[in-house]
Amino acid sequence: MELIDRYVAEVGRHLPARKRADIEAELRSSLIDNLEARSQGEPSQQDVVELLQEFGSPQKIAASYWPEGQYLIGPGLYPLFRMVVGIALLVVVILQLVLLGVALVFRPESLPIWGFLDDFVPTIVSVFGWVVLAFALMQRLGVHPQIEEERWDPRDLPPAQDPEPFSRVGTGIEIALGLVVIVLLSVLPQQLPQVLPSWIQIYISPVLLQYLPLLVFSVVLGVGLNVILLVRGKWETGTRLAKIALNLFGIAILALLIDGHTTWLVEHNAAGFFTSIRRLEQAGQINTQATEIVAMQVYRMVFIVALLGTLVDTLRIGWWLVKHLFGSSGEPSYPSSGATSAG
Amino acid sequence: MQYMIKADEFNDLHDKLTQELRRGVLVLAALSQLREPKYGYALIDDLSQHGLDIEQGTLYPLLRRLEEQGLLESEWNVEGSRPRRYYVLSAAGRELLQLLQTDWEQLVQVMQVLLVDLEGESHGTH
Repeated sequence: MELIDRYVAEVGRHLPARKRADIEAELRSSLIDNLEARSQGEPSQQDVVELLQEFGSPQKIAASYWPEGQYLIGPGLYPLFRMVVGIALLVVVILQLVLLGVALVFRPESLPIWGFLDDFVPTIVSVFGWVVLAFALMQRLGVHPQIEEERWDPRDLPPAQDPEPFSRVGTGIEIALGLVVIVLLSVLPQQLPQVLPSWIQIYISPVLLQYLPLLVFSVVLGVGLNVILLVRGKWETGTRLAKIALNLFGIAILALLIDGHTTWLVEHNAAGFFTSIRRLEQAGQINTQATEIVAMQVYRMVFIVALLGTLVDTLRIGWWLVKHLFGSSGEPSYPSSGATSAG
Repeated sequence: MQYMIKADEFNDLHDKLTQELRRGVLVLAALSQLREPKYGYALIDDLSQHGLDIEQGTLYPLLRRLEEQGLLESEWNVEGSRPRRYYVLSAAGRELLQLLQTDWEQLVQVMQVLLVDLEGESHGTH
């Protein structure tokens, strides 16, 4: 009987507390019923051992009382968990690298590499840990997004050979970069001058500062759209339209920035870019105004390139949308899938 | 494409599939015997005498789950030599048993038709 007690207690250790006593009592009573039925008279130790082995290991028995399984993060949450962990780690890694880069460029004397390595792994582990903790809590509280059981329509599926396949990884990277930009844009302009040694002057365009909130806002919107894309898992007409609207918004901001820089340059009687560079060389280090003019010209060029890039991207999406909405669905092409092997 | 299968793997597979079949009918079998109150071991004994051997470890959690789903009711009975938990069909359980019985009979008919081709056919060996 002692073996039965030990067995039942071991099963109990793996059971939920509120059901434990009841299940233990039933199990004990059933085991004794069983033992009496199979052995005439007083059961030997060997009988008990055989019975319990036949019954199954305590862990196995206990597990069968959890029909839905025991999960830290269950299958319903796991895909979302993977996505969030991926993005979070990417953000952390990129931010760390950016900060390392800044430190290396501006404070080479303090050997930031060691501090970086010291910091890098613990940060990653702790970010991972926090995400796990959050998801474990969701699991505990029963916050399970449904695994795609709701109504779906096969006509919504993307074509087998998508002319513009949606890339989860690419979108995840875009989100991570977007978050990094948000952090840098909202923190660095204020912090950077204090962080850097006095002999380094990073010149932050006053025009950029003026439009900074607008710029951050548009990046936030972009991240939001990417999150929606990641959740939907594909491009749709709605998201394409949103992307076009967002791009136009971005183009408007860039145009304002370019115009602002142009005005600034005119006000400061700036010459062309290369002339300004030559003046800088002639003037030497003392002339801050000449440096500022070159910096503003660089800013302006960067914004022009960004504007052109966004414009091309917008036209591409617009073209796809027009083709998709008004064009034919395309001729069928054979073979539609890879060669199927026979034998 | 042709996969080779070894004899012992074949036997394992047979065991596994038989178990799955049994698991499928286990609920129906248990419900069918619980029109009157029974405790766990008596139910196992009952099923075994009718030719359905089941793993003991499977039955107790199953009974508990059926109770939580509202198909069974249970209470402790302390009259015998030791306390035992007796299970019996609830009203919903009785109703569901009837539905399942109809489903089962239809399934058996279909399977008999499907399997009739096999009768008389000699079984190939591996």
